[in-house]
Amino acid sequence: MSVTDEQTSVLDEVSRELGIENRWVEHGRVSWLATDKLKVREVAFAMKARAARFVTITATELPGTEGFLLEYLWDLKGRLLGFPFHVTDNSIESIYDICEASDWIEREIHEGYALEIVGREYEPLLLRARDKPGVNLREGVK
Amino acid sequence: MSYKMPMGPYHPALEEPYKLEMICEGETVCEAKLHIGFNFRGIEHLAETRNHIQVIALMERVCGICSNIHTLTLCQAMEELTGLQPPPRALYIRVVMAELERLHSHVLWAGIAAKLMGFKTMFMECFALREKVMDVLQAISGNRVNYSMNRIGGVNRDISDSWSILVMVESLEREILDTIVPIFTTSRTAQSRCAGIGILSHEKAVSCGVVGPTARASGVPQDLRRDAPYAAYSEMKFNVPVEEAGDVRARLLVRALEMIESCSILHQALAKMPTGPIHTGDAKIAFSAGTAVSRVEAPRGEVVYSVAWKENSRNPARVHVRTPTYVTMPAIRWMVVGSRLADTPLIQASIDPCYSCTDR
Repeated sequence: MSVTDEQTSVLDEVSRELGIENRWVEHGRVSWLATDKLKVREVAFAMKARAARFVTITATELPGTEGFLLEYLWDLKGRLLGFPFHVTDNSIESIYDICEASDWIEREIHEGYALEIVGREYEPLLLRARDKPGVNLREGVK
Repeated sequence: MSYKMPMGPYHPALEEPYKLEMICEGETVCEAKLHIGFNFRGIEHLAETRNHIQVIALMERVCGICSNIHTLTLCQAMEELTGLQPPPRALYIRVVMAELERLHSHVLWAGIAAKLMGFKTMFMECFALREKVMDVLQAISGNRVNYSMNRIGGVNRDISDSWSILVMVESLEREILDTIVPIFTTSRTAQSRCAGIGILSHEKAVSCGVVGPTARASGVPQDLRRDAPYAAYSEMKFNVPVEEAGDVRARLLVRALEMIESCSILHQALAKMPTGPIHTGDAKIAFSAGTAVSRVEAPRGEVVYSVAWKENSRNPARVHVRTPTYVTMPAIRWMVVGSRLADTPLIQASIDPCYSCTDR
């Protein structure tokens, strides 16, 4: 699906608001804005201000000691926007207080990969009650 | 004095296990918590150990009702990574399967809702009709639950005789229009059991990010078939039913009206189906490294697949599945607050929850 002129101008507005000069990259049906300067909570505030709908977070463990890749997906007027975050210190800020819809996926990522989601109440595991964080998907956790 | 009332994980009102833990004052629910995970199968992890053919068979089993939708979404993502574009006829067949599956899912849900309303006659009607929808699905795919229709670059089976399928669809449409829709939209039983209960406000629906008929019944006019068309939906004309009340009755009405729209889409797709091949062939498939995201409007709402592939790998590096119930189910705790305890089975069922999808 190609990006319309209207969508392009909205995307440009979003990157300006976030203070990012990088261009959006179209790949795999998503408009990606990838840069180390992004802050997860600033993105959430910008998306919420534009009435974007939170879709999901995809977490992927990177090889060796490279950490994790967290890809936040938002739907803005039918267009999927992707914001990747490289996590090296095993933690990322929560956006639950900004975006209620992120509740379960944040809990699932904490459970699946033992990543600390900072700034939210610690809750029991979602899918494997009484098990230990990381047991589902993190390498080396048994 | 308040007391705690658990519903589930095993309960006659639940199709599958999950737990709704309610704090009640007398007959009124004051607070609720949800516990899931009773169907957890580790499918996302398992997908990383399967090749591009095996992973389709695996993901078809995420859900027993919308099995076709899961493979469609996965194949669309893998087509992005391989650069393969399905031929037009395959896209039409995908629309036919998706709409039949929507009919099947909505009729099944209507039957279960009727049972929870205490409307046994309607339950029987719905399940008899569901059999007929499954007959059509079987006539096309040879299967009644896991259809094995989708493959990378198209579909596995052709619809060789569109007109005979069209006749079956017309018969279904007549029954839906003559029986299901009138009863659900006008009967006093449905009205008295569903109106004004389990309300999810527009604001809360937006805040929770709910999708599908649950969102549309709270006045959120989203439908990926129209907003981000896939397969051949850009060539179909249809309406997206939206209701504002946000109660169980609104969810019932939205699904009833969606059944009529599905029949209309089936008519169009079967009548206009282009000739030609149904897939891109059996040549060796090469994946480019990277991530592709695909989403589809399943009967319960948006399904999202994020598929990552590494260079020269046989298996996906990551398959993340975000199902509609995963985002709609958390809203149940808001729907049941303030309601009568006796209404909670119907309220929680009104989102058409799929517990297996949610847990994966």
